[in-house]
Amino acid sequence: MTIRQAAVIGAGVMGSGIAAQIANAGVPVRLLDIVPQGAADRNVLAKGALERMAKADPAPFMSQRAMRLVTPGNLEDDLAELTEADWIVEVIVENLALKQDLYRKLEAVRRPGSIVSSNTSTLPLAQLTEGLPESFARDFLITHFFNPPRYLRLLEVVAGARTRPDAVAAIRAFGDQALGKSVVRCKDTPGFIGNRIGVYWMQAALVEAFAMNLPVEEADLVMGRPLGIPKTGVFGLADLVGLDLMPHVAASLRAALPAGDAFHEVDRPMPLVERLIKDGYTGRKGKGGFYRLQKTAGGRVKEALDLASGEYHVAAKPRLEAVDAAKTGGPRALFESDEPAAQWAWRVMRGTLAYAASLVPEIADDITAVDAAMRLGYAWKWGPFELLDKIGPAWFRARLEAEGLPVPPLLRQVGEGRFYRVEGGQLQHLTVPGGYADVVRPDGVLLLEDVKRRAKPVLKNSSASLWDIGDGVACFEFTSKMNALDPDTLELLDKSIAAVKKDFKALVIYNEGSNFSVGANIGLALFAANAAVWPMVEDLVAKGQKVYRKLKHAPFPVVAAPSGMALGGGCEICLNAAAVQAHAETYIGLVEVGVGVIPGWTGSTEMLTRWTQHKQRPGGPMPPIAKVFELIGTAQVAKSAAEAKEMLFLRAGDGITMNRDRLLADAKAKALSLVEGYQPPAPAEIALPGPTARLALEMALEGFRQSGKATVHDEVVAKQLAVVLSGGCTDITQTITDEALLKLERDAFMTLIRTPATLARIEHMLDTGKPLRN
Amino acid sequence: MKNVVIAGYVRSPFHFATKGALARVRPDELAARVVEALVERTGVPPEDLEDLLVGCAFPEGEQGFNVARLIGFLAHLPLSVAGATVNRFCGSSMQAIHMAAGAIQLDAGDAFICAGIESMSRVPMGGFNPMPSPKLMADYPQAFVSMGVTAENVAKAYQISRADQEAFAVLSQQKAAAAQAAGKLAGEIVPIEVGGALVEQDGCIRAETTKETLAGLKLAFDQAGTVTAGTSSPLTDGASAVLVCTETYAERRGLTPLARIKSVAVAGCKAEIMGIGPVHASKKALARAGIKSGDLEVVELNEAFASQALASIGDLGLDPATVNLDGGAIALGHPLGATGARITGKAAQLMQRTGARYGLATQCIGGGQGIATVLEAVR
Repeated sequence: MTIRQAAVIGAGVMGSGIAAQIANAGVPVRLLDIVPQGAADRNVLAKGALERMAKADPAPFMSQRAMRLVTPGNLEDDLAELTEADWIVEVIVENLALKQDLYRKLEAVRRPGSIVSSNTSTLPLAQLTEGLPESFARDFLITHFFNPPRYLRLLEVVAGARTRPDAVAAIRAFGDQALGKSVVRCKDTPGFIGNRIGVYWMQAALVEAFAMNLPVEEADLVMGRPLGIPKTGVFGLADLVGLDLMPHVAASLRAALPAGDAFHEVDRPMPLVERLIKDGYTGRKGKGGFYRLQKTAGGRVKEALDLASGEYHVAAKPRLEAVDAAKTGGPRALFESDEPAAQWAWRVMRGTLAYAASLVPEIADDITAVDAAMRLGYAWKWGPFELLDKIGPAWFRARLEAEGLPVPPLLRQVGEGRFYRVEGGQLQHLTVPGGYADVVRPDGVLLLEDVKRRAKPVLKNSSASLWDIGDGVACFEFTSKMNALDPDTLELLDKSIAAVKKDFKALVIYNEGSNFSVGANIGLALFAANAAVWPMVEDLVAKGQKVYRKLKHAPFPVVAAPSGMALGGGCEICLNAAAVQAHAETYIGLVEVGVGVIPGWTGSTEMLTRWTQHKQRPGGPMPPIAKVFELIGTAQVAKSAAEAKEMLFLRAGDGITMNRDRLLADAKAKALSLVEGYQPPAPAEIALPGPTARLALEMALEGFRQSGKATVHDEVVAKQLAVVLSGGCTDITQTITDEALLKLERDAFMTLIRTPATLARIEHMLDTGKPLRN
Repeated sequence: MKNVVIAGYVRSPFHFATKGALARVRPDELAARVVEALVERTGVPPEDLEDLLVGCAFPEGEQGFNVARLIGFLAHLPLSVAGATVNRFCGSSMQAIHMAAGAIQLDAGDAFICAGIESMSRVPMGGFNPMPSPKLMADYPQAFVSMGVTAENVAKAYQISRADQEAFAVLSQQKAAAAQAAGKLAGEIVPIEVGGALVEQDGCIRAETTKETLAGLKLAFDQAGTVTAGTSSPLTDGASAVLVCTETYAERRGLTPLARIKSVAVAGCKAEIMGIGPVHASKKALARAGIKSGDLEVVELNEAFASQALASIGDLGLDPATVNLDGGAIALGHPLGATGARITGKAAQLMQRTGARYGLATQCIGGGQGIATVLEAVR
């Protein structure tokens, strides 16, 4: 069955977030909650949630359109509307009686065959359906999302013995393809996978840190990047999820887990945390937590809590040798350090990883589900078994034994080997009975990492590779650090265009980095500028334009498939593709002004042409110019692929893929769909007003500068942008060629790169990662 | 010379552009409702009307296509009533009144509707396609100086402090809030239907404004200056209309004249201190009327900015107690093209209310101009 309409019951943070993600998928959803006593507006809870979400950052909604798909309501007046819903998600308080009471109400109104699921994180499915009619149990399952539902990719699905398999299949398919989640099938055990391991990890981290009076700044430093864990670490994460939430989850695990479970060993009281919660220090949503931001005369200052005294102090920025050692030596180097924070990290991770190893097959059939859950639900770079492979399972086991700790069977099973291996180009994982099995991707999932295991690149240099992804489609991959674009990238792209022309039908530009590309390698530009080798800089700009335009006018279709950030040159490459298939979480924009230049690899020209030719824009020559002046001049970045369409970084016909893992397959399909009868676009010619438009932009700019909204160099940069966007010396009665506009782009770029203020911006960006406002 | 009178004045509620209650209302339809209401309320037989003159500062987009003629159609005026759109920026609808008065003196009609319109939500200030002359910019850049900068220039030239501007703005808000609370504005306002509900009240007035809140605002135009959003008129949506006719026609048709137009004037001045325009225009108009500023008991002086209003009041030697009795544009809003008819109609209405003999309506105009109308009581 297809999910055409949905309903979410419970408009709290999770419920409203789930409703938003359903709406992001384009499916209308009703968001219902109770009518508070004496409420003037009976929908106040759901409406309040929508208002809160409209302002939240990061935004739960991907677009205004998505927001309009959520209809607020209440459980007293709108229950009858639920007959429309194909899927009803219950996200109310974790109280069995209340949930069952709601289920009985739902059973009376819902359409037969509609699916009901609970977002419970603590109650077993068997209890939830106990005493309810068979018709309900057949349509019921658990769908456990992670907060925030838009951004965390894990969806744990638990089906009961009585649940219809086709209901599970329908929710799996919808969760995967429409909501973009990686669906992990879990067993009906407490905390499922993510929270079973994640809560143990947090709990262990906290109690061990309390026992050692470890500075939280040091703890979060080691329990972050060195272990592939987000830099919030564990105390920062506790603040984020809410200190008050942790005791609830711990209590439910305490009650549900058998006496011998290792969780009980780390389930110790934390008086300071209890006191913090009582005093309203519940984390970021409260007055603060392990950290807080204090407003002072000099701006906001981050403070950290001392675990012994319970007092705040200005947060330190510690430097630890163990962390430096881990940069080259990996996690094992961290664990081998004597520094207290490193020792703490070892104690926490030895417990967590051993616990995870002890839970397969109790909580999941194989290790891949556990790794996926921790990667996608807790944003770990490596799941427990992947991390063990990095550490070395034999080393880990030996150290457990040396410290007199029990060794789980799976850790014995792995022996001197690894949990994952590659056999004949195929990734395999260790199974519970022993032996290895192939890691199987769902239908419609094509990963470049799998392609790369099987084959050698068609072309390759230090910054990029070209791969054969089958069916006559090639895939161009950036491989440089941070996927920064440099002369080697351009060179291989140029060669790839020739190779594809000869041996392939279509080209996809895609990679599996966390960001598609954050733009050109500005370090290189700075180097060339400092050495004043201007012809080299100019050549690089010209070459970029040439190769990008070659891509645009190639005789075969090119599909760019960005995910994450696609900025500057990364955005411009998308602008030159015949089509884009974007991951829904694509953040695209032309941010060059931040480093004191203008988009010089066709971006200024392309956006101007797009807006000029846009049919729905206001009339006259100025609106598109003013729009692009604003987009580029203020370095606007789309906060989703849907928003990128509104900004014309993407075009109406470009595709959006919700599930990151499906992006390459979708892009390939899009490319193949364009092959038959493909005609590259002819170079555009547009009419621009010339100097009068430049003057209009300069006048607007003058106001920004005087009112303090633009800095001195902002004005210098924007004036150059104005020259390009107005068409230089052209007149409205003439058309200006693409080539002439690209020349203006190059000239403006070269003028700016020669200014000391631009070089200062580049240097500052390289040093701090932040733009300089000079 | 004939006696020309203002024989009716109405306007729409004024609301903040973009975020206000009228943002989604088309300006032509908004003005049509106001014109229709003027006809209903005055009882003027529409077939007697010679012309519908509509002032608009940015007559393009939904305000384009000679919007006056279209407003006539929308307001169901007889086809015989002509229509012309008038542009003198902020002085547009006062200019419409002057043109009607002039036409009447030429025996070119007995009765005119002079209206004004601006949706600053739907047609941006500067228009959709600003395309200034680079030659003029080179020769005389002051021609393009922004309004905020002129306010700063006037503040500097006339030494108007930020505190004085803020005191003036607070008073404007208080007068407007008091007038609204006392129901003194209701009579002139034409309720506008938006999405099934009626918008009946002004939306810009901030009764809670204090000197302290204004003192906390950021500078809006010049980081070294004194002018903030709180001492500037807001971007506003609104429409206004007055009935201009001869005194004998009003008598014949049983209409109620509010005031007689005694004299009018326009004057140019330096563009960079355009806010002082009312001084030049008012001096000419007062001389033409043969009276002095001390004779004025009611003055409507448009508050584009507190700085220019204070400078103009000072230079003209006006008694502050006579100026903007029900608040000015800082509180009520300034829908550019609609302001001239509002303040002229308002001055006439206030003369009736207070029994004043002489009144003045005057305003400054971007590009460096002023416009003024002296009114005299009909006795």
